[in-house]
Amino acid sequence: MVKKHMRHVVLMLPFMAVISLLFVISPLSAAGEVTAIRGGDLYTITDGIIKNGTILIKDGKISGIGQNIEIPEKTKVIDARGKVVMPGLVAVGAEVGIIGYPNITRIGDSLDPFEFSVSLALASGITTSMVSTGRPSGSNPLWGTNAVIKTYYGDLDQMLIKESVVQPVMISNREWLRKTTFIQNMRKAQSYLRKLTEYQQAGDKKNAKEPKKPGGLDAYLRLLRREVPAAINASTADDILAALELVDEFAIRMILADAVEAWIVAEEIAKRDVRVVINPRQKQRPNEDISGPSGSTLENAAILKKAGVKFAIIPPSTSFETWGVVGRDMMALPMEAAFAVSGGLDEQTALEAITIAAAEIIGVADRVGSLQVGKDADIIILDGHPFHHKTFVESTLINGKVLYEKAKSIYFSHITRDE
Amino acid sequence: MRNIRYYVLLCILAGAFSAGAAAEEIIAIKADRIDTVTSGVIENGIIVIADGRIKAIGNDVEIPDAAEIIEVPDKTIFPGLVNPSSRIGLSSPPMGGSASTPHYRVVDELYPHQDQYKRILGAGFTTVGLLPGDKGLIRYYSGYGYMFGGGQPSAGITGQGAIVRPTGQRPEEMIVSESGFVMINFQANDRVKKVIKSALDSAKSKTSSTDPKVRPLVNALQGNVPTFVICNLPGEVLHLIKLFEPYDKMKLVLIADSETYRVTNQLLKRKIPVIFPAKIDFESNTRTRINVPRMLAEAEVKIALRPEFDNVTGHEDFLRKMAELVRSGLDREIAKKAITIHPAEMMGIDYRLGSLEVGKDANLLILSGDPLDVGTKIEKVMIEGKIVHEAP
Repeated sequence: MVKKHMRHVVLMLPFMAVISLLFVISPLSAAGEVTAIRGGDLYTITDGIIKNGTILIKDGKISGIGQNIEIPEKTKVIDARGKVVMPGLVAVGAEVGIIGYPNITRIGDSLDPFEFSVSLALASGITTSMVSTGRPSGSNPLWGTNAVIKTYYGDLDQMLIKESVVQPVMISNREWLRKTTFIQNMRKAQSYLRKLTEYQQAGDKKNAKEPKKPGGLDAYLRLLRREVPAAINASTADDILAALELVDEFAIRMILADAVEAWIVAEEIAKRDVRVVINPRQKQRPNEDISGPSGSTLENAAILKKAGVKFAIIPPSTSFETWGVVGRDMMALPMEAAFAVSGGLDEQTALEAITIAAAEIIGVADRVGSLQVGKDADIIILDGHPFHHKTFVESTLINGKVLYEKAKSIYFSHITRDE
Repeated sequence: MRNIRYYVLLCILAGAFSAGAAAEEIIAIKADRIDTVTSGVIENGIIVIADGRIKAIGNDVEIPDAAEIIEVPDKTIFPGLVNPSSRIGLSSPPMGGSASTPHYRVVDELYPHQDQYKRILGAGFTTVGLLPGDKGLIRYYSGYGYMFGGGQPSAGITGQGAIVRPTGQRPEEMIVSESGFVMINFQANDRVKKVIKSALDSAKSKTSSTDPKVRPLVNALQGNVPTFVICNLPGEVLHLIKLFEPYDKMKLVLIADSETYRVTNQLLKRKIPVIFPAKIDFESNTRTRINVPRMLAEAEVKIALRPEFDNVTGHEDFLRKMAELVRSGLDREIAKKAITIHPAEMMGIDYRLGSLEVGKDANLLILSGDPLDVGTKIEKVMIEGKIVHEAP
């Protein structure tokens, strides 16, 4: 009886394999077919630049990359001769792809693959972004929710990568009550964890009493267990130092956003392996009331690099705009990195700050951020160097599917490169 | 003619319950063209009406001796218009919060003898689906995915819609069906999804419940009554279809007002018909004109069209707007169905109205020409065998 049953299972196996394959592949346009991008200069980010190289894409992933890649038969070939090919840009924060209702507590339930910014993100070369909603309220230092999404136009099922990737925390010397609440709750959670460890390590379980989990501290426990980093906005040096104290006390992971004065305390940040998000061209006047250095500098990124701090770059405005002060929003993400280069940062690190380093900060570097075999085929083809102001994105692929072509775009097709 | 007028007057004065009182009257209409919508056009046709219903229709129909004969040799007869989603004559309900009030009935809000009803009758509307809750009318618009203007309407299961005739002095005279459909205001966020899902799941196991909070949902779940869902953005429609996947017997009808054509495949797969405003639009963030009803129709999504603006003027302009849609490519036959039989089908009332067929209510318009010709005038409006409006 058992044997017979087994035989059924064995007979079923090929069918099941076919069915599961269908499931895996069907949402992708590739549907098992292979795509090749041939002839471009491949900015791999992690392995330098491969001149006149080829990328093979299978099942939405990069299956081969190099100069001597053989292109199999029946491969759809995208000609990238004379172009720059690089991984899709990663934004550590952008307003994109969410249906704009307030009070969202789970982003996956409110994604909109037809949202206008999604198409603009593709045109700007951004294929992955963290999106956030919510705002701080009362004395609660924890706020908002976030997720990492792909800007996959038109397909809801391909958008969400991960929910709740960072824990936003609001503390500053102007919000002392929030900091107090935060520290008190962290200590409560810490003491629970300590008791829990003691209980788990106790040999005699009968006499030991399992500690009761305190209510409402789940987010704090996640921080203490280093499951997510705390994301703290800290623009002044003293705010940054205050935040770093939390790392010292609780050994949590941390991201410092809007870190205008990070350059002043770069060494301290580096010591604690805290990640930083900066807007290189942001201007902040020095504070004449304090004795030490203060204010913004274009060299912020370069100084952080020298100190060994890992950082991502985003523009001052995280929305996608086709109007207003154009050039300060997400449409110009590479330009923002170019500002860091003009402040003394090397190009490679500047590129990393909008690709792999950004992906690391939001916890998706295993899937996106570089051109490597096995990674998602999120690739952009540019008509020039990414940091040249005349460069446009020509094509954008996500999961191996071409989702944007400048030649077909009603917004950008009329713009031609005036050499 | 005078007799009929006298009779109608008598009816109104007596405040008599219409259907019963019309029992003795037999009317025959002889017209140049009778557009049945569902069975083609009958040239030089005759409609015989008894008990407020169509008794016979065709070219060589025997006219009973007792029949009152209305001869309109140069006119076109067309079914009365059906607007499946309106709040006309009702006040704005409270805004905000997520609701689960399936027991709420819009008929309790009815306020007859308003001038608005007389005027939309004159615009040719003989049947109106009244929505509980808000958002059926365009109080705000969406752009860049964000909502502007107005407050946030209550979302969730907002109650039961009613099917009414815009005539009569008392609510009972207006009502065709008290609980014609269940109404859901959908928003793509976890709270609203949870409210809808938990209400439906709890009703699922209570199939014999008579609880007024549960019964409507049981009927909706079993597909006995349709479920109208307001869901504006195409991205939200994807969430909607996902949420309703387990409830496969539910007859969903989408009330939309944006780029719904982007999700035609998904709508076709779940067989969801769409109620859409009759208007030519811009593709968002462009100056490209799009005729969304045409795009939906060409993708073979079933459509019903409603006035763009949910007020008297909107209703009065409706046929002209329809003519514009047809001029810019909407199939003429689909256009006619989209304002008569399709909305009737969506409300599950097509067994008694929405086209000119034997056995159906004699809801019809006597027109000076083709209904989708901008020069056409609505001369008389008949509901269940009674002339309820005559053009001055």
